[in-house]
Amino acid sequence: MEPAVQVENLVKRFGSFTAVDGVTFAVERGEVFGILGPNGAGKTTTLEIIESLQKPTEGRVSVLGLDVQSDAAKVKTRIGVQLQASAYYDYLNLKEILALFGSFYPSKVSPESLLDQVGLADKAASRMSELSGGQRQRFAVAASLVNNPELVILDEPTAGLDPQARRNLWGLIREVNGRGVTVVMTTHYMEEAETLCNRLAIMDHGQILALDTPRSLINQLKASYAVKLTLDKPMTVAQLESLNGGVELVHSEEQSEETADEDAKAENTYLLRLANSPTALRSMLDEIDKAGLGLENLQITPVTLEDVFLEMTGSELRD
Amino acid sequence: MKMMARNRQAIFWALFFPLMLVVVFGLFDFNGVGAADVSVIDQSGGPRAELFRERLSEIEFLDLEFEDLDIAAARDKVADGDLGYLIIIPELFDDPAGQAQAEGPAPVMLVYSTRNPDRNQLVDGAVRNLVSHIQSGGAPVIPSQLLTADVIQVSEVDYFDNVLLGLLGLGIMTNSIISIAVRISTFRNQSILKRLLVTPLPIWKFFAAEIVAHVILALVQAGIILSLGVFAFGGHVNGNIVWVLAITALGSIVFLNIGFILSAWAKSPAAASGMGNAVALPMMFLGGTFFSTAALPWILPELSFALPLTPMLAALRDVAIDSEPIWETWPYLAAMGGWVVATALAATKVFKFG
Repeated sequence: MEPAVQVENLVKRFGSFTAVDGVTFAVERGEVFGILGPNGAGKTTTLEIIESLQKPTEGRVSVLGLDVQSDAAKVKTRIGVQLQASAYYDYLNLKEILALFGSFYPSKVSPESLLDQVGLADKAASRMSELSGGQRQRFAVAASLVNNPELVILDEPTAGLDPQARRNLWGLIREVNGRGVTVVMTTHYMEEAETLCNRLAIMDHGQILALDTPRSLINQLKASYAVKLTLDKPMTVAQLESLNGGVELVHSEEQSEETADEDAKAENTYLLRLANSPTALRSMLDEIDKAGLGLENLQITPVTLEDVFLEMTGSELRD
Repeated sequence: MKMMARNRQAIFWALFFPLMLVVVFGLFDFNGVGAADVSVIDQSGGPRAELFRERLSEIEFLDLEFEDLDIAAARDKVADGDLGYLIIIPELFDDPAGQAQAEGPAPVMLVYSTRNPDRNQLVDGAVRNLVSHIQSGGAPVIPSQLLTADVIQVSEVDYFDNVLLGLLGLGIMTNSIISIAVRISTFRNQSILKRLLVTPLPIWKFFAAEIVAHVILALVQAGIILSLGVFAFGGHVNGNIVWVLAITALGSIVFLNIGFILSAWAKSPAAASGMGNAVALPMMFLGGTFFSTAALPWILPELSFALPLTPMLAALRDVAIDSEPIWETWPYLAAMGGWVVATALAATKVFKFG
């Protein structure tokens, strides 16, 4: 059976700007595939080409064995899409919106059943303006399921939700995937990607930097611990470089050539990664002492997907 | 339709503006007895006729013209409403011998239409008295023998009827242009258009649904405006109402297409509203909504026919006021058809979903 999504050498240019730069990946049927990356990484453009919303400059994309350019109409009948920040009609209630969208497809699921699936059965007569943020996102997922799709594409489905609403939606996505529906999603949230996705592509500047299961991506890191330290004064670049014995600088607030800039001086907070060695932490603290710096705060945590991301992109997620 | 019907605020404003104008114009008395434009054809040319003309020109509410007109052409002008009154002084007016031979006075002919009964009465009375005074020479005469009234029967029509149809065109134009431009701009800003694009819904069905819903609203709007104008303010619709509604629907499609074009350029719903007003307002004044485009200076009367509102109003007035069959208005319908095609092509070219 052909993969749910096959993307080959995909390039998308807007004038001189290259939004997607030679991306290749495949999404297997039945998996939850995540695309993680900062804003402007090319995630949404990639998804919009898969959804037939945009034409690729180069490359080929097929969905469920169909070419998204030549078979766009057929592809659309078999996939469900939840766009980033998409609204729905103001003057229809939830049931009516689902009935309207269902009428666009040859086969459809009843609005009552969809609302029941996403826990909004009691809101059938409500309008979008009467829903909370979490309820709206759940409704957007329900709207993506009106045609009983084989593949659902969710663009940042939990963006802006509180932790509880986010976890509710995770449950819903798992439930949908549990019925055999392939899910392709983008997210800003590392924990979400780590929890939900079977496989994950880390994307930045239009390219895929890594693609694997979340656990394999984490295991690829040399470091085992992430260290966040706050000092009483900023370090010079030379001092930072001296913290080597198994320590790798991941991030500090915008460093200038010789010293940290004004913001960094105010913060003096540095994020480093530490190899799994009994001497690594002691060595680092000794170097700080030697440099005459005072340690104000120290946090040590096991490395997560975020550390993988930081290593790959060299930056935190750009919101 | 359901979505549109529930947007009460939009419907309120769509109907309020033209209805307000109907009320305001309805309250004006456009039919007050003003100066009557009168043409005189003097077939006699004698001194008594000259005295008669002189006395006529002294009557304050008569605006006299002594054009060298052919009687038939002048009569047509009266019938068409381009001239209020025509007075024909007969050849025998100054010829007592001839009158004696004819066994009676040669009557002056007063030609007028039934458009303005109040003013007709006044003019008829004044002219009749004057003829009687001049022709009697002090002797008693029967006034009815001195003046013959040639009353041309026309459909009842007045200025308000013209304005009522102008308001109908205005209402359809503003609602169609602004409503669709704002609606589509809102849909685009909220990514609703994009959301529709990821469904298999053919795009033409989306446009067709929007156009059908707005045309139905335009027809309801036309019904309300005309009903209010006729039943509350005494306006008249003499022609076939079905044809009036057909022209309304065609005009609505032209203006909806213009709205689609504007929505492609508008960055926000507020901008779409502003752009819609910027297009609609000049057309309101140049399209002959309230006053005849003939009153416009320079080459504007000719240019005004290049606007889509002008042929729509001309067709509406010909059908509704002059009871012409719709096919008689084909030049106007052809102009509107041209606008439908041109604006549809332009809308297809410039429309953006994202």
